[in-house]
Amino acid sequence: MLDTLRPVTTPELIEIRLHPAGLLPRALAWLIDLMLRFMLLALAGNLFSLLGEFGSGLWLLLFFLIEWFYPVLFEVLWRGSTPGKCALGLLVLNDNGTPVGWGASLTRNLLRTADFLPFGYALGAVSMLLHREFRRLGDIVAGTLVVYRHTTPATLIPTATPIPPTAPLGREAQRAILAFAERAPRLTPERQEELAALLPTLAHGAQPPQGAARLLRLANHLIGRQA
Amino acid sequence: MKQAQFEALHETGWQAFADWLKKRRGAQPPFPPEELPARYRNLCQQLALTRERDYSLALVERLHDLVQQGHDHLYSGDGDFWRRLRRYAGGGFAADVRAHRVWVLAAALLLFGPMLLMMLAVHLNPEFAYLVVSPEQVRGFVEMYRDGTTALGRTARDAGTDFSMFGFYIFNNVSIAFRCFAGGLLGGVLTVFSLVFNGLLFGVVEMRLVQAGLGENFYSFVVGHSGFELGGIVLAGAAGLRLGAALLAPGRRSRSDALRETGRSLIGMVCGLAVMLVIAALIEAFWSPLRLPFPVKLGVGGALSLLPMLYFVFAGRRHGT
Repeated sequence: MLDTLRPVTTPELIEIRLHPAGLLPRALAWLIDLMLRFMLLALAGNLFSLLGEFGSGLWLLLFFLIEWFYPVLFEVLWRGSTPGKCALGLLVLNDNGTPVGWGASLTRNLLRTADFLPFGYALGAVSMLLHREFRRLGDIVAGTLVVYRHTTPATLIPTATPIPPTAPLGREAQRAILAFAERAPRLTPERQEELAALLPTLAHGAQPPQGAARLLRLANHLIGRQA
Repeated sequence: MKQAQFEALHETGWQAFADWLKKRRGAQPPFPPEELPARYRNLCQQLALTRERDYSLALVERLHDLVQQGHDHLYSGDGDFWRRLRRYAGGGFAADVRAHRVWVLAAALLLFGPMLLMMLAVHLNPEFAYLVVSPEQVRGFVEMYRDGTTALGRTARDAGTDFSMFGFYIFNNVSIAFRCFAGGLLGGVLTVFSLVFNGLLFGVVEMRLVQAGLGENFYSFVVGHSGFELGGIVLAGAAGLRLGAALLAPGRRSRSDALRETGRSLIGMVCGLAVMLVIAALIEAFWSPLRLPFPVKLGVGGALSLLPMLYFVFAGRRHGT
């Protein structure tokens, strides 16, 4: 399969689909967090320098806390994301789909040190590129996943007057029509017609909208848009 | 059943569920919290039916969303965090350490073995010190313990310096310990290196200071915090070694399963040792630099250093190991 979806079965035997995030968005999220931490420390440094030696002790304490616990606090107390992850629409979950707790979050963040080796998260990057679900070493030990926050792809489908299909459609057919409708805006009209011709029974009916236009309207019906 | 009928039948329930998830503090919830599990299970069943009967993807998507939010709500139970913390500190930690006693012993050997060897080596030939540190560093250590050997009472440094040293000790020591633990992920190589190197370093410093006639200064400074600090480092080493062993010899589990189970069993201990190092930093910053008569420092310091030992031997016996 090309899709990097991870199906998780809950105790109620219901399948939830998680969408793990790859190296690039996670690296960007890390960069944003790095800048935030840097600014926070610089600000605190200016403030605490007024307090002399006491301030420098306070600053070192703050540095320690931010260095090791910044991601932990955000992940546990702020629904799984640090500000950087939030900006990129990512969040951390246990690999059974439940929100991450103190133990797992601490594990994955303390083990950043191992991922960082030998320099600049090289080991973590290699681990993410090799792993089917893009986990770095810390994620493997903690049993956590970084996933995309759920978004509804239906919004990508261009609006058209919905029409119902003449016969009930199977899941595969529904998926195919929706995937086509999502991609349609990026295709030339000729290519759209070519693709629509692959589904002769669906793309052609008794009444006028034929071909690609008909498929778009069917898609609008499938995602539940009202006429 | 047609989709429209199905939706009409359950719409009020779904709406109530969505409202309950979105409820604000103070507002009247659509149903009491004890109904959540039953309603969640109903929703799961409806989602399964929706998928099975090939209803529209939009409906599947909507119910899937509701189920996922309900799932997160139901399974995010971290409610008794403080109680768990109290129980862990009250004996769970000690039981954990006893359960890993083989690894603790191995880590202690890797730290104290090189330390004793180095002390012996430096005692026989002081030149051996330069295997580990440069001559300038040795001179630095000696100077650090030489200043003001006669004055009693408070140190030359003021309270602000004490606090700044506290910050430094925490940052430095806890970071070393965390790295020692994380080093286990490289098969324990970094953990072993870190333990052996620190052992050698302690050995050199201790012996050179004794040779320089500063033994009394040195021991009066370190005896108070050494129990917590060395104990913390040994435990970090033990955790790192255990993690490394899970990677190298996972046994009858897959490597990632072995790592995950081991990681889960170790994280409590790692938090515990971090607290030990914070206590060590408190003692090191505020008690150790006090200049009191040597017997007083030795007595109180010795008692402080025995505390973790007593805790690990006696605490948490009732829960069993």
